[in-house]
Amino acid sequence: MNHNLRKKNKKRAGGGVRSFFLPSLFLSLCIPLTACKADILPPGREVENMALMRTMGVDAAETDGVRVTVSSGVQSKGADKGDEPPQVFYRDAGTVSGACLAMQSYGTAYIFYGHVGQLLVGEALAERGLAEALDYVERDIEMRLDTELFVVKGAGAFDAIASAATGTSSAADRLEALEDDAGLMATSATRTVKDVLAGQAQNGASFAPAITLTSGETGNGAGEGTDLSAAGFAIIKDNALAGWADGDAARGINLLLGQVDADVLELDLPGGGKAALRIVGSAAKVRPVFQDGTLAALEVSCQVDANVAEAPAALDLSDDTVRRRLNAALVAAEEARIRAALDLSQSLDADFMGLKKWAGLSAPWHWDALKDQWAGRFSRLEIRLRVEGDIQRSYDVKQ
Amino acid sequence: MGFFGRKKEQVPPHPRQEPRIDLPLTLESLKRVFQDCVDFSFREIDLAGDLNKRVAAVFVGGMVKMERASDYILRPIAQDEALRETDLHTAFRRMAGGALYNLTVDERKTTDEAVSDLIAGNLLLLFPGEKTVLSFNVGTEEKRSISPPENEPAIKGSRDSFVENLRTNTSLVRRHLRAPELRIKEQIVGRQSLTPVDILYLDGIADPDTVRQVEERIRNIDIDALLATGNLEEYIIDDLHTAFPMVAHTERPDRFCAGLAGGRVGILMEGLPLGYLAPGTVGQFFRAPQDKSNNWMLASVLTVLRYLCVFATLLLPAFYIAVVTFHQEMIPTRLALSIIAAKRDVPFTTVFEVILMLIAFEILQEAGLRLPPSIGQTVSIIGGLVVGTAAVEAKIISPAVLIVVAAAGIAGYTMPSQEFAGALRIWRFILAVLASVAGLFGMIMGAAALVIHLSRLESFGVAYLTPFAANGGEQVEGRTVIRQPLPADKLRTAGLKTGNRRRQK
Repeated sequence: MNHNLRKKNKKRAGGGVRSFFLPSLFLSLCIPLTACKADILPPGREVENMALMRTMGVDAAETDGVRVTVSSGVQSKGADKGDEPPQVFYRDAGTVSGACLAMQSYGTAYIFYGHVGQLLVGEALAERGLAEALDYVERDIEMRLDTELFVVKGAGAFDAIASAATGTSSAADRLEALEDDAGLMATSATRTVKDVLAGQAQNGASFAPAITLTSGETGNGAGEGTDLSAAGFAIIKDNALAGWADGDAARGINLLLGQVDADVLELDLPGGGKAALRIVGSAAKVRPVFQDGTLAALEVSCQVDANVAEAPAALDLSDDTVRRRLNAALVAAEEARIRAALDLSQSLDADFMGLKKWAGLSAPWHWDALKDQWAGRFSRLEIRLRVEGDIQRSYDVKQ
Repeated sequence: MGFFGRKKEQVPPHPRQEPRIDLPLTLESLKRVFQDCVDFSFREIDLAGDLNKRVAAVFVGGMVKMERASDYILRPIAQDEALRETDLHTAFRRMAGGALYNLTVDERKTTDEAVSDLIAGNLLLLFPGEKTVLSFNVGTEEKRSISPPENEPAIKGSRDSFVENLRTNTSLVRRHLRAPELRIKEQIVGRQSLTPVDILYLDGIADPDTVRQVEERIRNIDIDALLATGNLEEYIIDDLHTAFPMVAHTERPDRFCAGLAGGRVGILMEGLPLGYLAPGTVGQFFRAPQDKSNNWMLASVLTVLRYLCVFATLLLPAFYIAVVTFHQEMIPTRLALSIIAAKRDVPFTTVFEVILMLIAFEILQEAGLRLPPSIGQTVSIIGGLVVGTAAVEAKIISPAVLIVVAAAGIAGYTMPSQEFAGALRIWRFILAVLASVAGLFGMIMGAAALVIHLSRLESFGVAYLTPFAANGGEQVEGRTVIRQPLPADKLRTAGLKTGNRRRQK
């Protein structure tokens, strides 16, 4: 009897499989007959039939609209066949999407934007507004929000991309090198489209690294020619270019945001000679000061850590007086940089560093008041800046 | 009606004849049964030289050890003077009582029993006027000696393995598990092969219901011959509509005994040098024999690696097809450029390349298995290296596909159970096809179908996904993937419903 039961169970199990599997298989085979295949299933495309674009530039077109420039990277032709120079395409259209679609008619390969790693915006378009370019990145299914954003200072994105596209190098290569070096440069940093959009949404202002075309001896080993160089930051307010931060202001932004991996500060010593301090870290705090419920000031404090990178042999670093003097010089220099960044922010009335949010986080009980009063007061708000320096190590083998 | 409207042929009934030989137990009957059998032998012997007292000795040549039959059966019959003084009936009774020096002597009453004994290597003594015969076990003991396991090599463990002789195998188990609670029950399977199949379990530990199910399923096997593993395996498992092994097998007695001690029921059969352990659960197939001999941390790392390899062998080709054909944005840019460069001039689509390589891989593997080891290795080298390299250089296959398929194939070899790996190979094809139709969506749907399929499987009433599913509310999944230090592993698997769950103090 048990055997019969088992046989019945087996039959039921097998019958279950058949009753489920065969109709499912039949229905699956019928899918193509519904003519809905294209809607249900994603379209496939062979990767070798694609041209992977690495860099996209958006400029204001001569007439109304935009000029979109895209560039691939240097592409290997296959084993032992050498490299293919980067391909640069451009197209004018009313919108970025329209230009990108129109460029599909170029060549036989499908132009694929899923690997665009850098978005360049020309100065003219940035002044008109970045919303169009950023909106395209935000909405397009192929583009990524982690695309690095650059604003080209004094030129258009087309010029930057075209000048960087040589036989052995592309704009992507040069910009990736800049991204890699950003940590080693005190006046630059990387910012993605997502960072800029988030800054805009939260603070009404944001910033993006600026690049410029330099000509002549570039100093990067490339010899004579045109090159892309870091040029501080572009300050974006209300989705448009509001100003530039370079020199001390750019360094001040990095100091406040703690992005100082390797800045070297050169100090003139009273007795002659120079000492070099390597800035190895900074941490800032922002606190609102309220008087009778009114936002009266903003206290910004910044702790800067440095190491002695170079010092004349005569400089006795074991002497407290010498160390204090060095420290004072460090504080003075860094205070000037931070002040320059804060002054720029106030002069543009653009809280691109997110000071309001920062202050709100340190005093959340004042958040409502801060929100209400910030817009009208920020540009003329007293900012009390306090910088502290700490020279940590000197690497002096004699000690 | 069958497929294509063809008329289905009626299969005649196949009733079992009981008794198998419906003849009286006489020498004439035996001669008739073994008609035209050159190995059937008989001789008549005078009891202690008395011409009036003649008995017949019947045996099958080649099955009987001649020295043993001559020295311990025939010589006493011919020379024992005491037998001269007795009548035939008394002599029969004295021999049944021990007058002949043999460890076992049975009295057979039916022709079926007598014939079965003859085939097993017994010598029968037929006395005139007696309705029964005496059966003496004087069979040959020709068998392969116990050798190290070939397919489950032991680095730190016992080096014996099962052989083709059932009684040797049960003795090996007895030597590893000396508990008197070890039960060994025997059934005969196969109308023509009459193969003894033994069911082994530890009384008080194994689930009585599982034991009963195993006995019942083996009893219900009514086939001609039990000669191959499939003759047993496919008749006792719960679900034939799966590629996954439903019972584990091993050629190592120590592993077999560990299974019995863990609450499983073992099956051994004459003629096959391996033992089955039921029920089969998925975690069992990820455990290598040497896991318990290795340091627990090393064993855990290796087990985790095996689980990762399962994902690699199953999903890697499908994932490659999906990302290269549908989701190019997922590939890191430099890798995408590298793949594009490699695929330049290759005339086939990615899907075709992958499927072609998967089939080529299976062909190579199959060819290697069917040939002698030395030639098999040569085929593998020629096929894998020479043809593979030539295909890449000739731009027939891109190197990325070669790497993906080879990595997936090699990852499959990390599985301790090659039957399980074989099932994964089938699903690898299915997932690759689904990925070629709908990208990652298809691959994920295929993987979901696989999980659903596995979750529906049961082995002797135990969920196949135990302990990942149906673990009785215990959080033991982690312990399956990561081996605990043995002193901390105190309980037997709950899913096996063992009589005594605690395995140590």
